[in-house]
Amino acid sequence: MVNFSYSSNLQGSFERPDGVDKVTANLKFLTDLSFPNMLYGKILRSVYPHAKIISISAKNAEELPGVRAVITSKDVPGLNRFGLIFPDQPVLCEDRVRYVGDAVAAVAAETEEIAEKALQLIEVEYEPLPVIDDPEKALLPSAPQLHPDGNILHQASYQKGNVEEAFQTCDFIVEETYELPRQMHAYMETEGGVIVPEKDGRITVYAGTQHGYKDRFQLARILDIPESKIRVVSSPMGGSFGGKDELNIQPYGALLAIKTGCPVKIHQSRRESVRSGLKRHPMKITMKTGASRSGKILAHQVRIIADTGAYATLGPAVLDFAVEHAAGPYIIRNVHVEGVSVYTNNGVAGEFRGFGGNQVTFALEGQMDRLAAKLGICPMELRKRNLRKADDPGPVGQEIAPTDGAAQVLKAISQSLLLNNKEKREESTSQWKKTGIGVAIAMHGGGLGFGRLDPAGGRISLNEEGKIEISFGFEEFGQGLLSVIEQLAIKEIGCSSNDIKITIGDTDCVPSSGSSTASRGTSMVWHALQRMKGPFKKRLLEKASQCTGVPVDQLYLGPSGIWSCESKTEPLITYQQIAYETKDDPIQIETEFHFPTTPHSIPGGHYLYSFAACAARVEVDVLTGIVRVKNLEQSVAAGPVIYPTGYLGQIEGGSVMALGYTLLEEALMEKGKYVTENFDSYLIPTINDIPLSMNITAIEDLYEGDEYGPRGVGEIGTVAVAPAIVKAIYDAIGLWVTKLPVSREEIVKAVNQREMKEWLTTKL
Amino acid sequence: MKIRVKVNGHLFESDVEPRTLLVYYLRDELKLTGAHVGCDTTSCGACTVLFDGKAVKSCTVLAVQANGREVLTVEALDQEGQMHPLQTAFWEDHALQCGYCTPGMLMASYALLQKNPMPTEEEIREGLSGNICRCTGYMNIVKAVQSASRKMANETQESLEEVATSGTSTE
Repeated sequence: MVNFSYSSNLQGSFERPDGVDKVTANLKFLTDLSFPNMLYGKILRSVYPHAKIISISAKNAEELPGVRAVITSKDVPGLNRFGLIFPDQPVLCEDRVRYVGDAVAAVAAETEEIAEKALQLIEVEYEPLPVIDDPEKALLPSAPQLHPDGNILHQASYQKGNVEEAFQTCDFIVEETYELPRQMHAYMETEGGVIVPEKDGRITVYAGTQHGYKDRFQLARILDIPESKIRVVSSPMGGSFGGKDELNIQPYGALLAIKTGCPVKIHQSRRESVRSGLKRHPMKITMKTGASRSGKILAHQVRIIADTGAYATLGPAVLDFAVEHAAGPYIIRNVHVEGVSVYTNNGVAGEFRGFGGNQVTFALEGQMDRLAAKLGICPMELRKRNLRKADDPGPVGQEIAPTDGAAQVLKAISQSLLLNNKEKREESTSQWKKTGIGVAIAMHGGGLGFGRLDPAGGRISLNEEGKIEISFGFEEFGQGLLSVIEQLAIKEIGCSSNDIKITIGDTDCVPSSGSSTASRGTSMVWHALQRMKGPFKKRLLEKASQCTGVPVDQLYLGPSGIWSCESKTEPLITYQQIAYETKDDPIQIETEFHFPTTPHSIPGGHYLYSFAACAARVEVDVLTGIVRVKNLEQSVAAGPVIYPTGYLGQIEGGSVMALGYTLLEEALMEKGKYVTENFDSYLIPTINDIPLSMNITAIEDLYEGDEYGPRGVGEIGTVAVAPAIVKAIYDAIGLWVTKLPVSREEIVKAVNQREMKEWLTTKL
Repeated sequence: MKIRVKVNGHLFESDVEPRTLLVYYLRDELKLTGAHVGCDTTSCGACTVLFDGKAVKSCTVLAVQANGREVLTVEALDQEGQMHPLQTAFWEDHALQCGYCTPGMLMASYALLQKNPMPTEEEIREGLSGNICRCTGYMNIVKAVQSASRKMANETQESLEEVATSGTSTE
């Protein structure tokens, strides 16, 4: 029997407001919706990773009974492109396809089967072109050019001191190349929804996204209609993890709905989702790191090459993030980082929980462990000797909000149960199983960074029904945004949960808050409420005072209404009564502001950071190469915890997603085509793959004078896991893994290079 | 093809295409959208329902196979406005985030507890290993099944005691 030990300072919590509807299936996902006269849409995607389109004939498809519309590039009235940073991805390809997810046509039909059949009847004549399936090949002068400006999407660098000179003075140097896989978000609900033409000439787009207003902006540009003609309803969603921030099926649904005048539903199959959906950037990272005998790191040189696939989406920002975090929480005098993000004919890579930080932290922490082994000092000690102090600048020399999070998480993890269990070796369940422990830390920026549009905002009002209505342009995809809003509102306003109505995910009734991304949701809700609560309470209290004759200074907001210091059992005046009294001039406060940024003009440079330390204990089966993570602990420093179970859920869920990244997951491509096409070959962790115990501790103290409140924790739990597991494998069997996911074959091969007898007799 | 199938206690007579999968029959014909399709390769379990009391992935069962059978979906778990202890536990223990896998997870857990009312942690892991959750990391799902199992055991105990007490008083 296995036991879960569960210790955490995050006990005691509240149930999430959307929980009942989720367990009873009363909650309808947007892909669960159906409408009268609804048609079904299907998208025809390229059969080649790279080809010229000679001709497209839709005649046979159009003539199939039940088909109501077939669209190609000619049917796009506006800009036939989309993309979050700059629009370079065709909605429907005109003359060329650059990856197997490229759309060439789409169909609306009376049933899904007819739509499917119609796709087969569309005749597309292609002339295949040479396929670039490797970013290094894309950089060769002889490589075909995928875009007018060549094959380089973006380059970024950072330099301080002189690494070449500094390496001369190092006593020890470690150089290694790390390879990171193409991970799939694998949100359980694939992309989909319904687009409905309304009687008033507008359209309503019911489809999940992380930023309703951005979808509206991009759709207006494609459809060539004003944004005011589009309503985007975008929550709830069955997971996103960054993958639904970019447009997916919305343009096709909208074009088909407008053409047919009927609601059109598109819900991609998993296979279609794998083929067209975004992935995490595969990266090849070479790091050369040198230190003095005393364990002071003197020089750190980094080269990053990222495979961004066929189109840009958020590729440039992901690379900037990786470059920024390449030295992480360490203060190194000489640093040189160079990164390049390259177009290929592979699947499009874009935003994914961790945003380039996971890849670069895997390499950086790998360097720390290798260096410590070479120096013969404790890896924790090496980290400690080089760790940033609270007032140190950020990783690219920029001013940041002072934080001692790095030291806090390192200290907390060193006190963890796992690292203080002296008998770990004896716990092996068989002589063929070796156990080991590894630790890694991570630093992670929140928000989009310097120079990026990163506006936030919110609204609070007392609505006609007397509910305190709190509205944000954020989305709920499972992370627990609704709970965060509810808990913060109760705390900051003083009302009870029954007094609150939360409105999100509908561009017709929410203010602009920016994207639900970059661990910014919790943080921005807190900031917005700090700005709005004063004026909102003031107006309520003034009105209450006016109605009751009790001076404002003797009144306060409480459950159901305004209470006076005297009132014991019920409020002096209820919210409903105040709503009635203010019906001609409703109380409404709105705020707009910008995510806090560094004053230094470093593109993408962050100002607010969170930290995590992870300890993992693994068991490596030396006969099969199977690695099992037995225990996992994380210490997280991200400011005050608003919603404890949600916080834990983010770190636990993030840990398991990262465990998958480390041991199982790779959306494998060969010659530009996906080999892993569904969940039968793309393996994600099941309940049988998770650790026996996961202990999470939250460090809630902010550094003295820090007025920026809670940071989001959507990403930080995913960053330090892979390097900790890989170090634990080294600890168990002496193999330095450089490529993820960890290969069982590589382990068995490494094991076989030693005599079996030696494995049985040594405790490594 | 004509089928007669009992779903959540109600008898339905429908004419379905022979190729129709049970999950699409439930979702599109009966508008029971709790069972979700996450993969269509029987890998994810989001479409899990009970088929004559046994948990099956309804994306791998034909609607015609349900002819003369009984199907139970998540929509029938709560009775007369009372949530099933599993539903309460999944909510209270935060065993869900996005909620897309939840109906399948609940039905797989329901089948597990029917067969084995007091499963060990290991048995819970085994019993739910065919259902994928991408959000939670599963720790709270194990906890929720444990607490539901305890609650159900207590309820059974209480009702037994009630019977015993009422038995004594009539004597």
